[in-house]
Amino acid sequence: MSQTITIDPVTRLEGHGKITIQLNSQGEVEHAHFHVTQVRGFEKFSEGRPFYEMPSLMARICGICPVSHLIASARACEAIMSIRIPRTAAQLRRMLNLAQMIQSHALSFFYLSSPDLLLGMESDPKTRHIFGVVAAKPEVGRAGIALRRFGQHIIELLGKKRIHPGWVVPGGVTEPLEPAKRDEILAMIPEAYANIALALAAYKQIADRFRAEIEVFANFQSNYMSLINEDESIEFTVGALRIIDSSGNVIEDGILADKFPDFIGEAVEPYSYTKFAYLKSLGYPEGSYRVGPLARLNIVKSMGTPLADKELDEFKELANGPVQSSFHYHHARLIEILYGIEKIEEILTDPLILDKHVRAIAGVNRLEGAGQAEAPRGTLHHHYKVDENGLITWANLVIATGQNNNAMNKGVLQAARYYVKDGKFTEGVLNRVEAVIRAFDPCLSCSSHAFGQMPLVLTLVSKNGEVVDQVIR
Amino acid sequence: MTEPKVRCLILACGNTLRSDDGIGPWLAQWAQERFGDDPNIRVISRQQWTPDLAEDIAQAESVLFIDCSIESAPGSLRVIDVEPSAPMQGLATHHQGAPELLALSCDLYNTQPRKASLLTIGAGSTELGETFSEPVLDAIPEACRLLEETILNSLRDGDHCK
Repeated sequence: MSQTITIDPVTRLEGHGKITIQLNSQGEVEHAHFHVTQVRGFEKFSEGRPFYEMPSLMARICGICPVSHLIASARACEAIMSIRIPRTAAQLRRMLNLAQMIQSHALSFFYLSSPDLLLGMESDPKTRHIFGVVAAKPEVGRAGIALRRFGQHIIELLGKKRIHPGWVVPGGVTEPLEPAKRDEILAMIPEAYANIALALAAYKQIADRFRAEIEVFANFQSNYMSLINEDESIEFTVGALRIIDSSGNVIEDGILADKFPDFIGEAVEPYSYTKFAYLKSLGYPEGSYRVGPLARLNIVKSMGTPLADKELDEFKELANGPVQSSFHYHHARLIEILYGIEKIEEILTDPLILDKHVRAIAGVNRLEGAGQAEAPRGTLHHHYKVDENGLITWANLVIATGQNNNAMNKGVLQAARYYVKDGKFTEGVLNRVEAVIRAFDPCLSCSSHAFGQMPLVLTLVSKNGEVVDQVIR
Repeated sequence: MTEPKVRCLILACGNTLRSDDGIGPWLAQWAQERFGDDPNIRVISRQQWTPDLAEDIAQAESVLFIDCSIESAPGSLRVIDVEPSAPMQGLATHHQGAPELLALSCDLYNTQPRKASLLTIGAGSTELGETFSEPVLDAIPEACRLLEETILNSLRDGDHCK
């Protein structure tokens, strides 16, 4: 008799999803699926809106990474306007995007995943959360909260709001940086360095305890994609896309936003509202690939900043070629936080950052435009078509979580096959299967939330619908 | 943690697009205008209370949380003392309650305010909208009086402690 295990909802994620694990009559895992259970509809309800409203509308997709949506959307609008934005505006946007990356990575690592990493996958779920981390490792808790605050405060200083800032507009940003704000951010930098150094040291101390998880947490060969600079250093805001295979060979390079649809296709599956992106040259599902911190660090040759470059060298020693285990997303996230702090400091010490020319003005000069940027969890692609009046007639968004969708499903199956034995599961097994998804830090729908307490129920159901076993958290 | 302590921190919470849920931010704005020049008073208004506020709490002698309540009768006002309390269930990463924030402040920074209170206003509606329900509109004058009284009391209590 076959059985189904359902984890619904998956906890400590941005948004709401569920996992089902199908067992065969021998109690072995046959299939596993990660379901995104919400429909959003942004592509449809933006139709008819003026193109210049798009950045603000698209930012509402997500409460964690609105800045990346702002930037990808503004770049698509700038393609419609046929303009290049002032250099200072580009640097200010870069700083804003890095600040967002820092706060989002801090949320993912410290709030969502450090309870598993520092307290243990099998620790009591009643205390396996940030409060538990604070009680057991207060210095790590303080560092995590302070790093998130650091990123959020920069966003608030520049964009006037921590969430959904409206500062980024088609053509640049709405106003230049004031010297007092620059000085305030620079004054916060030393503490941020101390906090990320502490976090990296703490992570390296405990990483070896997770050899089994490293082995089976979405640990397989795949392709990778991310933005990269011409000098092969990491890039979040401009640049072009590079795709590498599982051995590290470059299979596509220099992909600008308008060429993205030539290389990337989107498939749908009946069990999820999130699309499944794939490389057209390899087809679906063979052309699946990963994006986000692991992909970025696998692709780049350097971070372009001294401290992060040392960490990157160490990271690349984890494997002979691309680092394949998705458990290492956690490590990559910390290295990117360090890079973000260094880069923000570098940007702010350039006198041109206070330049007053931060916005270019134009109307509709093309009827189609596309833009791309790196969100904390991976590449974002926005593609719009407009009529002569600049009203949106068609929009398509390819988001990071859709690009990692195949890998997450494959990873859940790999972990379930390893941990679920004879049709039995424990709370610790349940948590590990969820933790595979957490490693990717997917953003399912940050702007929708359940009201009140979120229950977690894992149910074993027989083929005829009978509940065989249930664990309720 | 090098900044001097403020005498009274006002921490409001609510969504201004969800009718009466916006009463917390509205009262925070009122307090900002009423006490904005007083360096002893700091006002923070957020859509949600998040863990980073623990540091602000640690830097305050007293804290007054302001929120709407869906459990109280519409328009009813309450001021209650708040004690630190760690969450018994899994933590919501986006939002904490006042007792959890106090506990977090204590765990992280080994300090907590001398006094912590919560002012709640019973919500009549939390549907989409930018206006308050009749009961909440009627309660606003008394809510402002109670808010002012609570703030002034906390400042006076601080003087007695010196």
